[in-house]
Amino acid sequence: MTSSDTILSVQNVRKWFSVRSGLLSFRKDKRYVKAVDDVSFDVPRGGSVAIAGESGCGKTTLARTILRLVEPTGGAAYYEGENIFDMNREELNALRLKMQLIFQNPFEVLDPRHTVVDLVGEGLVIHDLDVNDEVLYNNVIEALEDVRLIPGEDFATRYTHELSGGQLQRIAIARSLILNPNLIIADEPVSMLDASIRTEVMNLMTDLQKEKNLTYLFITHDLAQARYVGDYLIIMYLGRIAEMGPMEDVIQTPQHPYTKALVSNIPIPDPTIERERIMLPGETPTPIDLPPGCRFQPRCQEFGPQCKPDEPQLKEIAPGHYVACWFE
Amino acid sequence: MAVLEVKDLATYYYLGGRELKAVDGVTFDIDQKRTLGLAGESGCGKTTTAYSIMRILAENGKIAGGSVNLGGLELTTLSDEEMRKVRWKKASIVFQYAMNAFNPVLRIGNQIVEVIREKDDVSEEEAIMTVSTLFDEVGLKPERQTDYPHEFSGGMLQRAIIAQALACDPQLIIADEPVTALDVIVQNKILDLLRKLQDKYNLAVLFITHDLSVVAENCHDVGIMYAGNLVEVGSVEAVFKRSLHPYSYKLIGAFPSVVGPKKRLEFIPGVPPNLLNFPSGCRFHPRCPFAQDICSKERPEFREIESGHYVMCHFAGELDLGGSQ
Repeated sequence: MTSSDTILSVQNVRKWFSVRSGLLSFRKDKRYVKAVDDVSFDVPRGGSVAIAGESGCGKTTLARTILRLVEPTGGAAYYEGENIFDMNREELNALRLKMQLIFQNPFEVLDPRHTVVDLVGEGLVIHDLDVNDEVLYNNVIEALEDVRLIPGEDFATRYTHELSGGQLQRIAIARSLILNPNLIIADEPVSMLDASIRTEVMNLMTDLQKEKNLTYLFITHDLAQARYVGDYLIIMYLGRIAEMGPMEDVIQTPQHPYTKALVSNIPIPDPTIERERIMLPGETPTPIDLPPGCRFQPRCQEFGPQCKPDEPQLKEIAPGHYVACWFE
Repeated sequence: MAVLEVKDLATYYYLGGRELKAVDGVTFDIDQKRTLGLAGESGCGKTTTAYSIMRILAENGKIAGGSVNLGGLELTTLSDEEMRKVRWKKASIVFQYAMNAFNPVLRIGNQIVEVIREKDDVSEEEAIMTVSTLFDEVGLKPERQTDYPHEFSGGMLQRAIIAQALACDPQLIIADEPVTALDVIVQNKILDLLRKLQDKYNLAVLFITHDLSVVAENCHDVGIMYAGNLVEVGSVEAVFKRSLHPYSYKLIGAFPSVVGPKKRLEFIPGVPPNLLNFPSGCRFHPRCPFAQDICSKERPEFREIESGHYVMCHFAGELDLGGSQ
């Protein structure tokens, strides 16, 4: 199913963490936290896919598994047709040039003892791209100007404490861009930032996508944010995809009871709009010992007998719009 | 009469020999059963305002001027001992990180009992009864007061903290980013709970947040802060729909929404000023698209443009901010 316009194809990916239950339990009742449990989707070349869900839904673990920062339990992830999960160390290194990760907190990512030129150029050195100092410097300046830190020379010699949060996140982006990646996985890239700076960085990322032909995979907990950075939305609940589809379809006409509740709870910056909120009972449980059938049933408002004992699979209800619910 | 009246509040931090004017001229009041949302970007002084009201500033922070009047009592001039009697009894504060607010090695109920017995002359049994009632009130099972903090989820901890804040029957609750660390669905449940309790106990609430979407849905009034100044205050409807200050207008426009047409959001170029070195005149002028000569020379006055709607801008009411969004 990996056609040429699919850059990343994720198939039945699972990541289970085993839970130690005590000294004498041995192997009989081995239990798992099913952080990611059978997730499949495609990322089209040049697209911008947002993965959203609440804390603990598995969105970050999914991203880390795709990048092999944690080892997968099962499934496959094809980058340009090559299975990432079969790659050896060398192949992985080559892959990571093409597939870059941007983290949430630039303060933690960027070493305060290095200057900007070292931080941004680090990738070129690590990947041993055989560049002399002058080429490296010029590449860094170019990358800085790509993220609108202009003139780049002014920023090159600074340290992180001399820069604002928004500038730091742009430096984190420049660090990725300097390697000319095709695919950027961004884990909550703007959640730490204040509103205005957040919008500035989101707009920058949208512009860079066009300029550099990038493909994005965004991880976010904020559907309002997702709407402005993505064109395709995946909603996860307890390690599984509940619903996915073109961004506006999912936001405007959500089909899964969980998506409906989630969308109805997103606050809107307009006090004159009245909406009906769908309240869910309880809180998201941990994905250990899930009930048989649909994992959302304990909190579902539309729960019926058909929700047990089998887990619903994703079904296409409109072009590109998939829902995992027995009622669809 | 207003429960809380803050007038020309100024709070400075002293760093070596330098003065950092974290809050510099903040005026607002909050009535019974009203919630004022205080919003702005990091470093604008919203938390310092809250800490000044409660007098829980760091050691190098001093209230340099202005007054804070709570139910007829002037707080800025109270002795430390007198102020201790105000905290929890008249005003309590709910902090952002629920997981850090309780001591992890003590049972949650005991920690609330401790607060009650410190402030009120009651027996332990009576205090435990009060905690049971409070737990019930905030949607927790009373028998769970013997749990330790790690046995509670984030949302449950936030409920327990609200129970603690209500324990001594205050008139004012200050909520400093009370739901920021929570997922949206839990967040709304906590906010609904706060609203319900506010009505029942006639509370005035000062709600501090960086998220204007949450303010729009949960507050009656809103104050927007920028670089230590309160630049605009009014009902949420007035401030969101008829913004008078260019900063408020731009900040509101920078928030993404899941409703309405999706268009490219605008941001405010530049960053807030260094608090040790403010620009002259209006502090927003270097970033303001409408700035004129006067803006860099004279500090604008905080004035009432329409009933209850105050703003600190030379051109308030004269600017065409492009209408409401």
